[in-house]
Amino acid sequence: MKLPAKACHARTAGLGDMTMESADRRYGRTSRRPDGASPARHGVTRRGLLLATAALLVTTSGVNARVVTKVLPWKPNDAYPVAPVVPGGYLFFTASEAAVVEAFVDRLIPADDLGPGAKEAGVTTFIDRQLTGPYGGHDWLYMAGPFSENPLPSQGLQSELTPRQQYRMGIAALEAYCKATFNRGFAELAAADQDKLIAGLEKGAVQLPNFSSKTLFTAIYNNAIEGFFADPIYGGNRDMIGWKLVGFPGVRYDFRDVIDRPNQAYTLPPVSLQGRPAWGER
Amino acid sequence: MWLRTLVLLLPLFSAGSVTAGPDNYVDIARGKALVIAGDCAACHTAEGGQPFAGGLALQTPFGAIMTPNITFDTTTGIGSWSADDFARAMQEGRRPGGGHLYPAFPYPYYTKVERSDLDAIYLYLRALPPVENRVNRNTLPFPFNIRLLMKGWNALFFTSGTFKPDPARSAEFNRGAYLVEGLGHCGACHTPFNAFGANQNDKYLEGNQIDNWTAPNITNDPRVGLGKWSVDDIVQYLKTGQNAFSLASGPMKDAIENSTSEMPVADLKAIAVYLKERGAEGPPASTPLAASDPRMQAGEAIYVDTCAACHVRTGTGVAHLFPKLAGNVVTTQEDPASLIRIVIAGGRAAATEGFPTSPAMPSLGYRLSDKQVADVVTYVRNSWGNAAAPVSEETVRTLRAKVTGAAPGE
Repeated sequence: MKLPAKACHARTAGLGDMTMESADRRYGRTSRRPDGASPARHGVTRRGLLLATAALLVTTSGVNARVVTKVLPWKPNDAYPVAPVVPGGYLFFTASEAAVVEAFVDRLIPADDLGPGAKEAGVTTFIDRQLTGPYGGHDWLYMAGPFSENPLPSQGLQSELTPRQQYRMGIAALEAYCKATFNRGFAELAAADQDKLIAGLEKGAVQLPNFSSKTLFTAIYNNAIEGFFADPIYGGNRDMIGWKLVGFPGVRYDFRDVIDRPNQAYTLPPVSLQGRPAWGER
Repeated sequence: MWLRTLVLLLPLFSAGSVTAGPDNYVDIARGKALVIAGDCAACHTAEGGQPFAGGLALQTPFGAIMTPNITFDTTTGIGSWSADDFARAMQEGRRPGGGHLYPAFPYPYYTKVERSDLDAIYLYLRALPPVENRVNRNTLPFPFNIRLLMKGWNALFFTSGTFKPDPARSAEFNRGAYLVEGLGHCGACHTPFNAFGANQNDKYLEGNQIDNWTAPNITNDPRVGLGKWSVDDIVQYLKTGQNAFSLASGPMKDAIENSTSEMPVADLKAIAVYLKERGAEGPPASTPLAASDPRMQAGEAIYVDTCAACHVRTGTGVAHLFPKLAGNVVTTQEDPASLIRIVIAGGRAAATEGFPTSPAMPSLGYRLSDKQVADVVTYVRNSWGNAAAPVSEETVRTLRAKVTGAAPGE
């Protein structure tokens, strides 16, 4: 297939990927509803998808393509700042959902002699804000199926449920399980019982009513790690707790001063997108 | 028969010393070089507009002045001007009817240009295609809209007369002086203004602030001027927009891209010789702030985390790519405007044929508060041998408003 000149320009200007992404997103948006539809029912074939994507690439590239000559574009005051998460309250979780997540992540990364844990780091706030954003809806993923029951590892995510749905349904299932088994909610269980239950979820030994225990465990486990180590600007990793624990230097990107001194301690404190306390008050 | 020939030729001669025709290609080419040296296009071309068709709004402390159309369009440009009219505007700041031009048009400099050069410029401009572009020439508010006021201004601050070479100096020095003091009008930006917007002749080339950029001291002062630069360093800077010390940005980027990079190296060398030999004037040295000062400590933390990756922990930068900050005169000028605005808004270096890279610095204004910008700039001004007055949060706040478009003036 021969692409028109415009589409080629988009590629040479390095913008082809962007175009592809927006094309994917458009495609996904038209048929994202996870109704379990098979490809045959929709008539979506591999060839059809490729053609549709190429067509979108062509039709949208006129907007995105820009021929850059002489010097790279630059504008004063050009920046892509992330609006810092303001902690306090929850935007997605109900109070009881938040209590479950908080108790769960507190067992995954508990405060101990190495330092504060996921709860202190604000991981629940991080997950809450991520779920309200594009991640929560898997906005950039192809979500129209088919979804394999027994996917190969190389097939990646195979769930029709968005993270928002996974948390809402998964926590409800966990709470129903705890009420039935222990006669109280997950957050009220003793730490040892919580640990045992979490281990059961991870192995799939515990069956939640109408929800995959592995899916719930995997979601909270992965997001807890992300919240503990992502930049504090996203609401978790408060005071760079996670980075201090593992000795990660943060958003530094130049190590010429120390590269020739192997096996010596790196003494510079971590720095986040918003700096560090030594910068003075903002 | 010979009488008839004479009569036919008469109108040609009566038109003055300037003649039109294919024979004056040499003069036109010379005029073009002079127009480049004078960087006429910088002011007389609006952004995205036709060259020399005017319409750029020059911000002055008295209000905005729209630059006129200097193409030879008869109704909207200077198509009806004679060579004498043109010379009078350049040398005396007067229109053909006698009306006064504002000294935002640097006639106090152009008065030094020789008539033969003015005629060559006239011929070149006349050879360009006329562009119809009507410009509102009366945008100044009362009372500055009264052009007759300039009569008083001229009496106080304007001395007319062409350049007089100094016989005690070399021909090269005098050539440089003629270019810098005349057509190049370097002092228009690099000399402080008085309250009336006139350059202070007793502080000639000692630095100024223009459009929220620092125009540094370009005397031979070793601390804040060109003292550490050799003649070759200056030539390289003017020709390519960068040298081992610095990279041009802001208005000087434009001046280099449009003007000096296109000038003959011999003229640039003459300019450099003149600037190096003219003399050195600068404020007395100040002592650097103590490293224990809280502003210095916060500034150092910000510098190490934010700036050192390119400008290097010891302020040495990377030659020809990331400007050196240690000993860079922009860092130690009394006026910190350029330092502050480049941290906030970012900056882009000049792109010339000799140095097309045009490295850019990202904007950090979104990441640093006014206090943090003040502290990091204060740290840069007082480290690695630099010494200059600390910068206040208030200064940063005012400038940020201007350079981010939050307030008029940019």
